[in-house]
Amino acid sequence: MSLLVHVIALLALPILVIGVVQRTKALWAGRRGPPILQLAFDLVRLLRKRPVYSTTTTAIFRAAPWVAIASGIVAALIAPLLGRPGPLAMRFDFLVFLYIWGLGRIALTLGALDTGSSFEGMGASREAFFSTLVEPTFVLAGGAAAAFTNEHSFGGLLVLRPHDPIHAIAWSLVIVALFVVTQVEAARMPVDDPTTHLELTMIHEAMVLDHCGPDLAAIQLASSLKLTVGLSLVAALLNPFTRGGAPALTAATSVLIVLVLAVVVGTIESLVARLRMRVVAQYVLAGMVAAGCALLATTFDGGGAP
Amino acid sequence: MSPPSLSAGALIVAPVVLAIGAVLSLALPRNMLRAAAAVVTQLVACAVALPALVGVLHGRAALTGTVRWSYPVEIITLRVDALGAFFLMWSLPLILFATIYAIGYLKPYFAAGRNGGPAFALLNVTSLALFVVYSADHALVFLLGWEISAVAAWLMVIWDYRSQRIRFAGFNYLVSTHLGLFILVAAFMLLYAESGSMDFATFGPTLARASRLRGTLFLLLGGAFGLKAAFFPFHSWLPRAHSAAPAQVSALMSGVIHKAGLFAFLRFLLLFGEPAEWMGWAVLSVGVASAFFGVLYTSVQRDVKRLLGYSSTENVGIAAIGFGVGCLGLTWKVPALVTAGFAGGLLHLMNHGIFKCLLFYAAGAIWRATHTVDMERLGGLFRRLPIAGFSFLVGSAAISSLPPLNGFVSEMVIYSGLLSGAAPSAPARAALVVVAAVLAFVGGVSALATTRAFGIVFLGTPRDGTIRVHEKTPPTMRAPMLALAFLASLLGLFPLLGLSLVRAPVALFIATPSELATSGIETIARVVAASTAAACMVGWLLRRGSRQHVTWGCGYTAGTPRMQYSGSSFAASFARFFGSFLPESRREHLPTTIFPQERSHLGTHHADAVETRLYEVLGRGEEMITKSSERIPEDPRFAFAAGVVALAIVVGLLLGGVR
Repeated sequence: MSLLVHVIALLALPILVIGVVQRTKALWAGRRGPPILQLAFDLVRLLRKRPVYSTTTTAIFRAAPWVAIASGIVAALIAPLLGRPGPLAMRFDFLVFLYIWGLGRIALTLGALDTGSSFEGMGASREAFFSTLVEPTFVLAGGAAAAFTNEHSFGGLLVLRPHDPIHAIAWSLVIVALFVVTQVEAARMPVDDPTTHLELTMIHEAMVLDHCGPDLAAIQLASSLKLTVGLSLVAALLNPFTRGGAPALTAATSVLIVLVLAVVVGTIESLVARLRMRVVAQYVLAGMVAAGCALLATTFDGGGAP
Repeated sequence: MSPPSLSAGALIVAPVVLAIGAVLSLALPRNMLRAAAAVVTQLVACAVALPALVGVLHGRAALTGTVRWSYPVEIITLRVDALGAFFLMWSLPLILFATIYAIGYLKPYFAAGRNGGPAFALLNVTSLALFVVYSADHALVFLLGWEISAVAAWLMVIWDYRSQRIRFAGFNYLVSTHLGLFILVAAFMLLYAESGSMDFATFGPTLARASRLRGTLFLLLGGAFGLKAAFFPFHSWLPRAHSAAPAQVSALMSGVIHKAGLFAFLRFLLLFGEPAEWMGWAVLSVGVASAFFGVLYTSVQRDVKRLLGYSSTENVGIAAIGFGVGCLGLTWKVPALVTAGFAGGLLHLMNHGIFKCLLFYAAGAIWRATHTVDMERLGGLFRRLPIAGFSFLVGSAAISSLPPLNGFVSEMVIYSGLLSGAAPSAPARAALVVVAAVLAFVGGVSALATTRAFGIVFLGTPRDGTIRVHEKTPPTMRAPMLALAFLASLLGLFPLLGLSLVRAPVALFIATPSELATSGIETIARVVAASTAAACMVGWLLRRGSRQHVTWGCGYTAGTPRMQYSGSSFAASFARFFGSFLPESRREHLPTTIFPQERSHLGTHHADAVETRLYEVLGRGEEMITKSSERIPEDPRFAFAAGVVALAIVVGLLLGGVR
């Protein structure tokens, strides 16, 4: 039963989240904006199209978007999407989660290099570089939460709450670090501008320039799923009902917090300009420092493992 | 026939068969016969030894055998316990695969009339030497096996001895391995002076007792074995040797021979009993440094085999991180850390042997087809060499620890040790989490490096139009590649297979190993494999009516292969960010006007910082010695007087020092 709810959530929530982000940006720009379900209409439209493949590409280009969406779905099944541990939750699942996201990213990178075009190569190079800085940030943040609460999994995010000053510092820094990770992995401002049409300014979009039709639908769903899962990890830290609440209440609160965070993402995208490429690396490094400080806070907890 | 006598006999029969094979390879007349002699004897040795070794790994007693020799050695005792059996169990088949691969790889040399006898005989000798090293119980026997394997490896490296560059690479390797030998001999001399005999068993009490000598011995042994296994900063000989050697030799050196260094380190760690805490932190730091610097250098190389050499440094660093965690567990008396650390480290060594050999065989296939391994000249090889491409892809995914392959399992076990929170103090727990973050960084950069290598070499279009693929990969080269790819997938989808093999060696360190949380890894590997297959099936069904066209170029219709991203451009932003660790020399002559009248060029080169600094220091030292010796006047009477004075001082020291 909970598996079914989780699967419905991971298919429906990305559409709502992207819809809310677009609506927020439109309202800030003084427009009414597209319908909330616009991504669903886009996906259906793309599925009806016939794909065009480049003569340079091989089977790897054709398989890459589907490996990406498969890895996105499996990662979403591990993550605490609705304020409860996911169906595939296990010990040290945040590491498994990280490597499965890595599998999707590597598939898209290889698909990009397969086209033999310098646009895709540039996007792949930038994406690979920034992800090398994101991985230690995620392990520091997840490891700090997990070790602090003796949960050794994503359950640490569900349990870590600010009940004393040390916990409050660690909690807020883990939120900051996970938010930065989400912005990089889901290619949002101030790291990457999803609406730019200038290839030299793209990171994620440049990597998938040559995909079209059903492949592009898979990629768009995969990246919106990444954004949703990232925001739900932050929501897991902000949800007051994760321990001892009815499952429906926890899930509803989690969805609500995710949508509020989507409004925050839309606001940041409307008000903040994209950072220069060199400064993006320093921004991710700042996220890593935040996670490192959260880890440092755990050393003041006093005493080690039971 | 009762099992004990069969298993003890295997310990003697297998090396004898290998020795016969080596002699036959040199003696028989035709190259195909020599190859057949080597392959058949290795098959027989594997068939005889593997059941006995697997028996030891599943809990049976250690294999022992004695060989009578003449005075002054008298008796050589050989003993293969769980640790030696583990290493031997995967080394022998990997050497067999290398021999089969060599038949296809060396065919052009045979066609030109070259005698292949030494190549095959040396492969048998390597197998034999590893038998001796992994079963030795006596320091002199150990050193004999160590030296034979080093010299055999050197001779295999300089197969293309007509090239001066290759001869220098071989010489570099020979000098480095003998430096390690000298340090090892020094350690053995100290131990002999303390314990009075050369048996490993008698070294035990000296090493287990806490004293200043114990620390010195730890550093000496660690230095010797670190040099052999190519840890940072003793790694500079490895990429050079790998770039020069034939593919099967590089594969064996990285995958099998240098693991002997780690085996020896673990063997002595067992004798140390409960190591001091600083020893565990030292092993952990060396592991972190090797992994970090190894992977940074991997990401900027343009020679594929050199890249794989640095990647070996990275992976032994990862295994050393596991061993460091295990050592700390022994000091802090935490069974979970001991189990996770040593199981993860040992499993990673076996996995590394498998996927490193796979990658080197694919690189050898590239070399044989195109006569270059310079990635800046290659491209689009996936269509022409599909099996080599598939093998390189599987190897790259395995080395980046992606599910559902074998690298993922061993790294997860090491992570479970680092993040278990079982350290006695909060700062120690935080330090282990930081090491886990460094391990994640290393994994991310390794993904960048191998994506770069595979993407630039096999995908896109050929960057140099003069490169032609002459012929398809022969079956003797394809079979080992596919077998290793199958093994990597098998060990990834069935993690318990690999973990059951390391249980017995870990039990040597701690009597009752704790359980590893592996059911989750098993489920995930299968879920990932199933969902990826299902999604690709869906994608294949949805692409009816697809059309073909050229790559979209934003309106630019005259794209050339030279406009693709090259290896150095892919890694450029990363290398610039880590520029303080990756010194780059840049030669450029850039265009200054809008319509340049003269040719421009840009070249970047990343040298090995340790090697460059080493040669700088040696050069400056030589300069100092030359300058100071120039100041001694060339008067013969003065030189004679100086010599007499020096001799008097030396004799005085000797007479005064002797009691």
